Amino acid sequence: MKKFLIPVSAFLLCVSAASAWASPGTVLRNEQLFSQPTSGSRVEANVAKGASVNILSKQGGWLRVTAGRSTGWIRLLSVRAGAGGSGGSGVGDVFGAATTRSDPSRVVAVAGLRGLNDEDLKQAKFNAGELARLEAGTVTTSQAQSFAKQSGLASVNVPGLPEPRPAQPSSSWENN
Amino acid sequence: MKTRLMVLAISLASFSGVAMGFDFGKLLEDRLNQELNKDKKTQPATTPPPAGSQSAAASPPATKQKVDAGQLGFALFGDYSPEEENRIGKQISGNLLGAVPLVRDDGLQRYVNLVGNWVALQAGRKNTTWHFGVLDTEDINAFAAPGGYIFLTKGLYRRLNNEAELAGVLGHEIAHVTQRHHLKVLKKSSLIGALGQAASSKAQGSDQMVQNLIGNGAEIMARGLDKDAEFEADRVGIVFAARAGYDVWGLPTVLQDMAALPAKDNRTSLLYKTHPHPADRLAALGEAVDGRLDGIQGKELANRFYKIR
Repeated sequence: MKKFLIPVSAFLLCVSAASAWASPGTVLRNEQLFSQPTSGSRVEANVAKGASVNILSKQGGWLRVTAGRSTGWIRLLSVRAGAGGSGGSGVGDVFGAATTRSDPSRVVAVAGLRGLNDEDLKQAKFNAGELARLEAGTVTTSQAQSFAKQSGLASVNVPGLPEPRPAQPSSSWENN
Repeated sequence: MKTRLMVLAISLASFSGVAMGFDFGKLLEDRLNQELNKDKKTQPATTPPPAGSQSAAASPPATKQKVDAGQLGFALFGDYSPEEENRIGKQISGNLLGAVPLVRDDGLQRYVNLVGNWVALQAGRKNTTWHFGVLDTEDINAFAAPGGYIFLTKGLYRRLNNEAELAGVLGHEIAHVTQRHHLKVLKKSSLIGALGQAASSKAQGSDQMVQNLIGNGAEIMARGLDKDAEFEADRVGIVFAARAGYDVWGLPTVLQDMAALPAKDNRTSLLYKTHPHPADRLAALGEAVDGRLDGIQGKELANRFYKIR
C-alpha cells in the first residue's frame, strides 16, 4: 500500500513544486540520483552530463531534482542552476545564451545600474580617507574568536582538497 | 618596444645564472637605466631596497645589484616580503576605494570584519592584519589584494542569505591572498609598470613606487587572474570556511545563484571578465570535492546574518 502512495505523492509534489518554485538546472557531470540526500542511500537513476533537471529543493550539499521521470537527490556541485547548458566556457554561454533566454524586461531593468568597469578602475585615484576608514575598522584576533564563540562556531579539522589532475599544461610565464 | 623589453626581462629571469643569462642581464640593465633616467624628474628619491628582497635571485649578483632595486629589484627577483605585500595591497586598495567608496554602515563593516577574521584565522597565516570592506556599488563582485585586503560589493552582499555564504565568499578571497595569486601576476607583468607607465598620482599617502609596479589606478583588479588561480581559490576557500565551522556549501550556493543570473546583467560584466563562468567553477569544485566533505556538519547562521540597510 505504502509502495503505491510514495510515487503518487512524489508526483503530486513535483507538479505543485514545478508550478510554484521549481527552477531549471543542468547536470555538470555524469551522476546518480539518490533516494535520500546521502550517498549511502538507494540509487534512483543515473543522469548524464548535460541533462536538464528541475530543482525542487536544497538540503545541505544536496539538491532534490526531477530528471525525466525520476526524482531524487543529486550533489549540489553536480548541477548548475539556470538553463545555460552544462558549460560556461566560451563567450557563447556568457553572452549568447543570455540573449536567447533572457527576459527583456529584466535586462532593461538592470541596464540602468551600471557596474564597475575597467575604465573606472584604471582611472581610480588613491583615496587616503577611505583607506583610513577601512583600516580603522580592523578587528583583533580575540574579537573574532569571541564573535565565533557567541554562536557556537569552533575550528574544525578539515583536510585540504586535492589538486586536479592536470588536464592541459597551465601557462607558465616562460611561454608567455 | 614594450614587448621587446618584456621578452628581455623574461629571458633574464628564466636563465639561472649562466654566462648567457649574464649577457642578457647586461642588455636589460642598460635598457632599464635608459628608461628610468627618462623619468627621473617624476620619480621620488630612491629608497633603499627592502630587506630580503633579493634573497632568492638566481641571476649573477653583479647584475641585479646594478639594476635599480628600489624600482625593480623586488619585483623581478625573489619573493616579496610581508611588508612589501602589505605595501602593494595598501596601494591597490587605496586606488580601488578611489573608484568606489565603502558603504557607510559601521555595523555592516564590523560584521564582515568579524566573520572575515574568523575565517582568515583558519588559514594560519601569521603576522597578517586582515582588512575587510563592503564597497558601495550594486556591481556583483569581490576582490583581494596582497597582504590581506579583502573587499566585496554591496551588490554581492545583498544576494547572500546567511553567514556561511559570506564566509564562503570571504574564504575564496582569503585564499587569493594566502596563495599569493596577485603577486604571481605582478611578477609576470611588473616590468611594464616599472618603466614609468603609470599615471602619476599626487594624492596624499599614495606610494608612487608601488604604483609604478601595479600600473594605472586599480586596473590590476580588472585584469583578473588565470582561471586555475580562481579554481584553486574556490578549493582552498571552502576548506577555510569549513574549518571555521561554517556550512561548507556556502560558496557553492553563491555560485549556483550567480549561474542562474542573466548573463547580460551589467552588474556581473566585470566578474565574468575576470572569473571563469560560475558553471565551470561549480564543475571544477565538484571534481575536487566529490564525497570528501560529506561528513562535515557546519552552521549556516542565517539569524545572525547582518541585514543591509
